[in-house]
Amino acid sequence: MDGNASAGGMEGQHRSPHQKAENKHEEKVQDPDRREDETKAEMGSKTWADLAGEMKMFLWNPEERTCLGRTAKSWGLILLFYFIFYTCLAGMFAFCMYVMLLTLSPYTPTYRDRVSPPGVMIRPYLNGFTIAFNVSQPSTWQPYVDSMHHFLAAYDDKVQEEKNIECVSGQYFIQGGNESEEKKACQFKRSLLQNCSGIEDPTFGYSKGQPCILLKMNRIIGYRPGAGVPVSVDCKVQKGNESDLRSVDFYPGNGTFDLMYYPYYGKITHVNYTSPLVAMHFTDVKKNYLIPIQCSLNGKGIINNVNSDRFLGRIIFTLSIGK
Amino acid sequence: MVKKKSDVYSVEIYGTKDLEKTDIGDEGEKYKDLKGNKRKKKSEDLKKELELDDHKLSTSELEEKYGTSINKGLSSARATEILARDGPNSLTPPKATPEIVKFLKQMVGGFSILLWIGAVFSWISFGIQLAQGAESPFDNLYLGVVLALVVILTGIFAYYQEAKSTNIMASFSKMIPQQALVIRDAEKKELPAGQLVVGDIVEIKGGDRIPADIRLIFAQGCKVDNSSLTGESEPQSRSCDFTHENPLETKNIAFYSTTCVEGTATGIVINTGDRTIIGRIASLASGVGNEKTPIAIEIEHFVYLVAGVAISIGVLFFIISVSMRYKILDSIIFLIGIIVANVPEGLLATVTVSLSLTAKRMAKKNCLVKNLEAVETLGSTSIICSDKTGTLTQNRMTVAHLWFDNQIYSADTSEDQTTQPFDQSSPSWTALSKIVTLCNRAEFRPGQENLPIMKRVVVGDASETALLKFAEVILGDVMNIRARNKKVAEIPFNSTNKFQLSIHETDDPDDKRFLLVMKGAPERILERCSTIMINGKEEPLDSEKAEAFQTAYMELGGMGERVLGFCHLYLPENEFPDTYPFDTDSMNFPTSNLCFVGLLSMIDPPRSTVPDAVSKCRSAGIKVIMVTGDHPITAKAIAKSVGIISATSETVEDIAKRLNIPVEQVNRREATAAVVNGMELKDMSLQQLDEILCNHSEIVFARTSPQQKLIIVEGCQRQGAVVAVTGDGVNDSPALKKADIGIAMGIAGSDAAKNAADMVLLDDNFASIVTGVEEGRLIFDNLKKTIAYTLTKNIAELCPFLIYIIASIPMPIGTITILFIDLGTDIIPSVALAYEKAESDIMNRRPRNKRKDRLVNEQLAVYSYLQIGIMQSVGAFVTYFTVYAEQGFLPSTLLGVRVNWENNAINDFEDSYGQEWTKYQRMYLQWTGYTAFFVSITIQQVADLIIRKTRRNSIFQQGLFRNKVIWVGIFSQIGIALILTYGLGHVTALNFTPLRFQYWFVAVPFAILIWVYDEVRKLLIRRYPGSKLVGQEHVLLKQSLSLVVFLLLESFFPT
Repeated sequence: MDGNASAGGMEGQHRSPHQKAENKHEEKVQDPDRREDETKAEMGSKTWADLAGEMKMFLWNPEERTCLGRTAKSWGLILLFYFIFYTCLAGMFAFCMYVMLLTLSPYTPTYRDRVSPPGVMIRPYLNGFTIAFNVSQPSTWQPYVDSMHHFLAAYDDKVQEEKNIECVSGQYFIQGGNESEEKKACQFKRSLLQNCSGIEDPTFGYSKGQPCILLKMNRIIGYRPGAGVPVSVDCKVQKGNESDLRSVDFYPGNGTFDLMYYPYYGKITHVNYTSPLVAMHFTDVKKNYLIPIQCSLNGKGIINNVNSDRFLGRIIFTLSIGK
Repeated sequence: MVKKKSDVYSVEIYGTKDLEKTDIGDEGEKYKDLKGNKRKKKSEDLKKELELDDHKLSTSELEEKYGTSINKGLSSARATEILARDGPNSLTPPKATPEIVKFLKQMVGGFSILLWIGAVFSWISFGIQLAQGAESPFDNLYLGVVLALVVILTGIFAYYQEAKSTNIMASFSKMIPQQALVIRDAEKKELPAGQLVVGDIVEIKGGDRIPADIRLIFAQGCKVDNSSLTGESEPQSRSCDFTHENPLETKNIAFYSTTCVEGTATGIVINTGDRTIIGRIASLASGVGNEKTPIAIEIEHFVYLVAGVAISIGVLFFIISVSMRYKILDSIIFLIGIIVANVPEGLLATVTVSLSLTAKRMAKKNCLVKNLEAVETLGSTSIICSDKTGTLTQNRMTVAHLWFDNQIYSADTSEDQTTQPFDQSSPSWTALSKIVTLCNRAEFRPGQENLPIMKRVVVGDASETALLKFAEVILGDVMNIRARNKKVAEIPFNSTNKFQLSIHETDDPDDKRFLLVMKGAPERILERCSTIMINGKEEPLDSEKAEAFQTAYMELGGMGERVLGFCHLYLPENEFPDTYPFDTDSMNFPTSNLCFVGLLSMIDPPRSTVPDAVSKCRSAGIKVIMVTGDHPITAKAIAKSVGIISATSETVEDIAKRLNIPVEQVNRREATAAVVNGMELKDMSLQQLDEILCNHSEIVFARTSPQQKLIIVEGCQRQGAVVAVTGDGVNDSPALKKADIGIAMGIAGSDAAKNAADMVLLDDNFASIVTGVEEGRLIFDNLKKTIAYTLTKNIAELCPFLIYIIASIPMPIGTITILFIDLGTDIIPSVALAYEKAESDIMNRRPRNKRKDRLVNEQLAVYSYLQIGIMQSVGAFVTYFTVYAEQGFLPSTLLGVRVNWENNAINDFEDSYGQEWTKYQRMYLQWTGYTAFFVSITIQQVADLIIRKTRRNSIFQQGLFRNKVIWVGIFSQIGIALILTYGLGHVTALNFTPLRFQYWFVAVPFAILIWVYDEVRKLLIRRYPGSKLVGQEHVLLKQSLSLVVFLLLESFFPT
């Protein structure tokens, strides 16, 4: 066939003699197939049986000893090529990552613009921001209490006294010296939380329908909240009747984060750092009612009114206390 | 429909008595089997209709039949009535596909289906999420809407492009309305030809197009050019006599759309519009199946390939993610992402743009492409079946040789001759030139003095025109010479005399003799001569001189030229005084014993650009076959002079002649050339035709009818060739349709031919086809580059999803971001590749093999996907990890973090440094990651763009700055990326964030790596041209190893 021969000629132009021969051989083999193809094309589409046969041939051709159109040797070489190729590429990747990691400080991330200003979280946190229980049914509030106890274990006075030092209240605890030096952490004793410490009332007021909720400001390395004035917390009803939330007590102090707990130096050097907390004691809340509450941080540099991020400088949760 | 058309076809064929009946019969059988008998009746009707008997009727019978009067014509009222009944006298244009169908095709074709599926999945998951009351279900709604928009917009774009190119053609079909001179209400009226009705009496004169099928009732010297119908190039005389049973053969019928060359005639309109012979043939063209264009097949193949990859990877990862205990809903969302990443959304639009750019470029080079896809078809053409007249030749008779003084002189036959170089000093030439000038009735149309002689319009037949122009070039003002030699008597040429004679006064005031000049068929002229002029002296015409004449005559005739003999006689003054009354009827003057002066031979010479174009075709591996209605000798002569038959090759007949053996004994395989006569072709079986097409590389088909063209085209296609066919007549339209690419002539072509063709040659020049081929090949190469460029980044878009699923890292790139790459930054660069100049070998390689050389082959896909694409992904991931690490999330922290990372409730998520992040802070970081990933892909696509400029040559060989559009592409790419990141960085819905400046450079080393890697590959290809490196990586491996070893040895042991 003319077309066939010409195709061979064309390819042959750029082939070494050895391959040329190989190629010709291939062609001879292909030729009848091709004619078959043609006749089939004339008759219409191939039948499924033909297709299956072709697939089988493609998967394993016993004559040529090829699998998926390649001989074992060919497969070996090609896999070897890709093995080397990808190994080199992986090497290059690893090298780039290594160089990149070298430029990073292990103590402070290069940029902190995305993580500040701080976000806010509450405890107890089980699986959502709705705290709902019935006073009369301990099983409804026991999980919250357990969660609080668990969380506050690290704040036990003993633990704190053992690991951390007492700091001067009202000023930032700035620790100079080498970046890699271990930093001291200030004590935040559980007892500071008074009624919400769980020491006197192990149910954190849940059994009385006056639940304690702990508020925690996100840690940011080097961040000094409030610019010299402690950040305070306040709570209000987010949507609805203001009178639903009649009184909230804040501990410690008037619901402030003492300056001495800042700045944070990162988890490698500031090993025993415990985030300061503010406990909110909801002593008089309308019962049997879903009350959406927003607690916000207030202070210089704190942002608490961004629509897109509802956890930035504030937190919204729902309180529902039944009898 | 098919059935009906095919029968019309066979009717036509029986009518013109050629073509193989068996073949057609078979075809008919096939169709019958397919379509059943339903259509049979209709076709029978059609057959009956053709049984015209108007040619057998007498004038009065005709008057009666059509209710008309030869002298008065129809009444206007009657004519209006018939017009209302029969409709206007015009061909119904072929039924076009409704616009809405075309539009919908664009909406569902190609990748659109995949994207629709993606959109539907998005909406489904939106619905599920909405029902479940999830927090932000609208993301999926938007994604679905965006995907749908993408499909609709690209669909509209493709539709618009397609429509634009069709519009160019639409302008073609708008013809200037033809006028016809009709007798109605006993008055002669000029009417638009469209208003003619059956029974109208029309008058025709030379130069008119016949306005309908007409039965002649009066004719005077009428000749018609039937070439558009039957392909016969010689004008045929028409009279009012019934000469043949077959309506197509008889002399008293003239057919619609043929032209009246000379004379006048009057006739009765017997058929109008689609019922004319031409109308029926035109409609049969639409019955011949249109072949799918090669590029359409390629794109389909490409779509299948990519869709296959997309679906299989999508399904694979759907299964993986389900078995990794992702939620079904999440898995569906992954699936959408994978599909979107895999589908090159912008590519089909890019291909359309590239094709239309090429189409525009080709239009500048006189190839008007009707169908965008035909642009590439021309590039893959392996056989061109070309007409002779007008395409290969200049389509005008020109004097090629002269014979006087026993010697043959050659004349210049080029298009723009201004002088003639042959020796004009002999007095014989002076005498000959006088005869040429005087014995000629052709005249220039007035008012063309400023035009070059060759371009002037002449009134007269082809040979006289040739002689007139020849004389004008050599002697100058011919009309003035004629005026000085006043004509006193004349006998025009007629077929019984076979000569033309005129008697003139001489311009020499002292010479009172009359000069009788005569020209005509050489043997007839010689019969009338007793002397011959040699070097200005009359010598007796002895047998030796007659022998010399014979030799010259044979030689010129053998060159396929039309030879004319010239003789003269000075009438003695005493016998023919000033006042002698010459009477041409009684011929009262001598017409024998004249003095023979010389021979002139004429040919329609090849266009000067054609030989070069043919040799270009040859080096490009394209076989040029000449198909002509002309005489074999002429055809062969032209074929030889343009190189279709090369100087060294011989036909079977030539070999027989050289070896002096009978034709039958010649080994047919020895002959590389063949001249096949239409009559031989008629008796050939398909096998014999195949054999000829196979065994001979240089073929000329002579005396073929346009119908046989179809057979030839089919024969070529059986060889697996991509066939281009030129044609101008209506009867060519089936062949034009059947061909892979039909090329109609813009000047000589009929509208039916233009309708059937895929391409129109505006200058009717064969050389334009070759430039078209070059453009077609270039666009194929460039589309390959475009596709390689586009496919590469698909991997860089896909990998993030796969790694996201497997390693559970935060999502590296968003679906919307991917769309911004595919439809934003990458569009202009991929179009820019269409402007890439040809690599040097473009016209020196064989046409691509339809089956083997695919647009997207395994190698291209593998190289793009598994090598460059992976490099790009690695580069992009380095940027991604850098961005996260510098913000506090080291790579080790990121692994497996997905579930918590995406948990809306966790707002004190701890990073590697112990800092805590809210969900939105993490999302913002994630978008920064998207942007970084996007920027890295963009940067690496710049490198990809540069490497795709060439296939084999180094970038430095090709030149970085030769294609300026590439730079437009690069700048647009970076510009769009800058706008997206910094300009739209605050629109959260788009998921772009302003990016720190340094992140633009993280992927640069990988961009450089891509460039260097590809340069090395190209270097190896050039250095070891034995292998196709891409896809045969083991060869690359071996060779790069040997190169490394070589370089090491070289450096350690310098020689």
